[in-house]
Amino acid sequence: MGARVIAESVTKSYGGGRGAAGVDALLGVSLALEPGSFTALLGPSGCGKSTLLNLLGGLDRPTEGRVFVDGKDLATLSEDDRDAYRRKTAATVFQFFNLLPTMTALENVALPLLLEGVSLADADVRAARGLLDVGLADKEHAYPYELSGGQLQRVAVARALANEPALLLADEPTGNLDSKTGEQVLALVAGLVKERGITVVMATHSAEAAAHASRILRLRDGRLEP
Amino acid sequence: MTASSPGLRCGFRSLIGPLVLRPATKDRLRFLLTVSGIAVGVATIAAIRLANASVLSSFSDTVDFVAGKAGITVLADGPGIPEAALERLAWLRRAGATLAPAITETAAAGAADGEVVEVLGIDPLADAAAREYSFASEASDILSIFEKDSVLVTSVFAERNHLHPGDFLPLVAGGVERRFRVAAVLRPTGAARAASGSIVFMDLAVAQEAFGKVGRLDRIDVVLPPGLSGDDRARFEEEIRASLPPGTTAGRPERRTETVDRLVRAFRVNLSALGLIALLVGMYFVYNTLSISVLRRRTDIGTVRALGASKRSVFAVFLAEGLALGVLGSAAGTALGVALAKGALLLVGGTATELYLPSAHPALHLDPLVLLLAFTVGVASSVLSALAPALEAAGVEPAATMRHGSVEAARRRRTRPLALVGSALLVLAFLATRPGPLNGLPLFGFVSVFLIVSGVSLLAPAVVTFAAARLDRPALRLFGVEARLARANLTGSLSRTSVAVAALTMALAMMVSVAVMVGSFRTTVATWVGQTLASDLFLSPASGRSGPSFGRIPDEAIDLVRAVPGVDDVDPFLAFSATRNGVPFTVGSGLFAFIAKHGNLPLVDGRDTRVVFTEALGKDEAMISEPFAEKFRVKVGELVELPTDRGPVQVRVAGIYTDYSNDRGTVTLDRAHFQRLWSLAGASSVAVTLKDGVSPEEGARRVAAALRGRFALRVRTNATLRKIVLRIFDRTFAVTYALEAVALAVAVLGVFNTLTALVLERRREIGLLRVLGTSAARVKRAIRYEAAAIGGLGAGLGALAGGAMSLVLVHVINRQSFGWTIAMHTPWGFLAAALGLVLLATLAAASRPASLAAATDVAAALKEE
Repeated sequence: MGARVIAESVTKSYGGGRGAAGVDALLGVSLALEPGSFTALLGPSGCGKSTLLNLLGGLDRPTEGRVFVDGKDLATLSEDDRDAYRRKTAATVFQFFNLLPTMTALENVALPLLLEGVSLADADVRAARGLLDVGLADKEHAYPYELSGGQLQRVAVARALANEPALLLADEPTGNLDSKTGEQVLALVAGLVKERGITVVMATHSAEAAAHASRILRLRDGRLEP
Repeated sequence: MTASSPGLRCGFRSLIGPLVLRPATKDRLRFLLTVSGIAVGVATIAAIRLANASVLSSFSDTVDFVAGKAGITVLADGPGIPEAALERLAWLRRAGATLAPAITETAAAGAADGEVVEVLGIDPLADAAAREYSFASEASDILSIFEKDSVLVTSVFAERNHLHPGDFLPLVAGGVERRFRVAAVLRPTGAARAASGSIVFMDLAVAQEAFGKVGRLDRIDVVLPPGLSGDDRARFEEEIRASLPPGTTAGRPERRTETVDRLVRAFRVNLSALGLIALLVGMYFVYNTLSISVLRRRTDIGTVRALGASKRSVFAVFLAEGLALGVLGSAAGTALGVALAKGALLLVGGTATELYLPSAHPALHLDPLVLLLAFTVGVASSVLSALAPALEAAGVEPAATMRHGSVEAARRRRTRPLALVGSALLVLAFLATRPGPLNGLPLFGFVSVFLIVSGVSLLAPAVVTFAAARLDRPALRLFGVEARLARANLTGSLSRTSVAVAALTMALAMMVSVAVMVGSFRTTVATWVGQTLASDLFLSPASGRSGPSFGRIPDEAIDLVRAVPGVDDVDPFLAFSATRNGVPFTVGSGLFAFIAKHGNLPLVDGRDTRVVFTEALGKDEAMISEPFAEKFRVKVGELVELPTDRGPVQVRVAGIYTDYSNDRGTVTLDRAHFQRLWSLAGASSVAVTLKDGVSPEEGARRVAAALRGRFALRVRTNATLRKIVLRIFDRTFAVTYALEAVALAVAVLGVFNTLTALVLERRREIGLLRVLGTSAARVKRAIRYEAAAIGGLGAGLGALAGGAMSLVLVHVINRQSFGWTIAMHTPWGFLAAALGLVLLATLAAASRPASLAAATDVAAALKEE
């Protein structure tokens, strides 16, 4: 079951201490996302997409406003609860894949499961299934440097989905892939989340990528365009 | 482009800032650690060499000042030169030469525990032509020592002891105190500069009488007529030799320094080897720092290469960084070395003078050549360590696109070839234990130790990989997912972690091997002392502050002790020094009947001491110590040649006994046999057994009471002497522990350095882990597990390598250096405690990197590309 996400007048400013003028990355952004929806945040670089994703993912706290996920105010979560939130509820896929270079594909996918306390045997089985789902059953023991960009992103998707999150945050997931591979990865993600009813928020500057979403929100200079 | 082309120079100048200087100022801690690593190594080497050079130079100064204007010196090779030798050399006087006979002795000044002072007994009439004397008062001259029991003292000695002409100076030697009158004070020039001024001059006849050397001389300095050619001098030397009686040698005065140099050489080589280990750890630091900076600046290097910087200029920049680190570290190390040399002088000087030159007063002599050598060694080794990282930097392609993982993968492929080379080195290490000593030094033994250290270090990457693969799943089950994170980091950055493991291995191997060697040695010595120190009391002449005894206990004192009620038996030990092919050894004597009765001198081949000594007594045979047998390759049944006044005498060897009291080697004869050959009286020390029912304390009290007022002898009970022997032993080896501690501390700092670097390098990965929901506490734990793994693997490998090295140290190096057989004894308790401490230290070293990792700003770390 996907997560219900609500942002209320969220503002995020950086710097500005000691009398210096701060930079507003986000300004009064409000949105409501239904469970199982696939939303694209479309906008040029520096418009605040990643900042918004960081806030939704519990990596950062808003300067003003509140973010609710399934009714819980993320600002009220303790540090431990935020760790647990990232482990179980909100998973992220990045532009630069961000696999751990020192672990094999299987170990990368198994990592969130092990972090969650799943036994080693179960974690290995579930990670192998995850790799099978993204079409990489034969790459279990490959290290990241042995994989192509598309394969890396598919491993990253399998890792993100390993703990069956309710919310998937994708930050320019095709930004580092050629258009054909990007298309394939997006099609894969769209298929998997639909099957599982996961809520997806994808930040992108590409209109083609955004076309995979059921809803497109345009962000410019930290504000949502009407 | 040539190396000197403007392009390279330009490139070099423009690259040094962004690639080296700015990152170094940003990472001050690592910079400081690296510089201090080299500094410690250089300081150790400089300090040891300076101290050693100071000891030798003080000794050679003494030799020079005493020799004065002598072109040739006649020395005793045995208990002394018979005075008749002067008559045989009388032709020299007719040829225009001067003969200056002398007695050289040592005494305690002022009281039984006073300052140790050299005594030179001279013939005042002849000596003025041989040695330079300058008097503080014009009214005095050298003939003033003709007055009864008069001495000349140096101004240095007079000031220190508040002496003025006319004052009385008591001198204690051979257990007897005598009072002398200060006739005059000498200015610190010429002979008065010998032994740094701690020297007293008296009339030859007075010295002969005072030191029990009537009719004998210790040296004759020959001042040759002026204007001789080299050939003439050689002819003189030849003719002097021909006219000398047996038991004497003639040669240039400086050859005595060579003998001393040879004596302290084994000691110096051992200390220098430890200094080299410290430098090796310093080299590891340079390698570590530079290769990490190359890795962290890969993108920058790629960018400047894309902008047109040549491979050569990139190579030059990183080599220059190594050079700069080397220059800074070596400069600091040289300065630190001078400071440390004072301490090292006490250690080297203390041990060396105690063992070999009881009257040396070494002062620190700052030899610029030694300083330059230490500095050069430091700079050269850090440039050498910079070579590999500099080559790696030069190999970075323009606009580098290689990821960390692929760089490491390329390195991982080297694991197997490295392991093969490492194994080959270990085989060579084994083979190097086979040959004997080279020029008296166990050089192949040191080569073997070096090969073991290098071989095991090269095996480190393979061991880390193997252990990580085998232990991944069990560790994960036992310690959770953090163990896997640690494992991934360990193998993922194999080139860094395996070097940290290797450095720790080196330091630990050193510690383990020295601990096992010292432990084995100590246990062996303790057992030996228990067996040989069977008598109840030991008497030696009171000997001043320096410790070793000098002078002889007169026969009257021995008879007095024998007559004390409660004394059962007395064994006087008497010895003198002789040489064999220029190598010194000791000729000693004791009562074989006493040893046969008490059976307290174990034989190397395990035969019954009582039987062998009884037989030797009947046949006038000799017993030799194990170091003598080793050093001169003499076996039971063979003949040894001993110098006597009547010419060399051959004595058959009846047995070899274990002896850890000196490494010079001793030939021991029965006292009666000895006295027939050399007609010497008295004893260097006396062992006393007491009758049943008399306690050692009571016996000591009675003997001391009988001697009081007549003889200044030190009476020690068996228990006290045993304690003293082991205390001297422990003090001698304290220096090795200190150096090990340095090497170990540097290695643990290395772990800290590596972990900090790895955390900085992996900021992005750590950020990612945090995104995946890994708590800060877990990230910390993973870093700690990684440290524990590095510590554990280092400890394991170190223990193995150390075990192998201790075998080489005990059975090869020690045996070849000193001629001692030592039974292996592993101090398990100490080793377990030390290894545990290292593990704890490694974990402690991980705490800052772990906190650094936990504090990683997640969003910022992920933004970095």
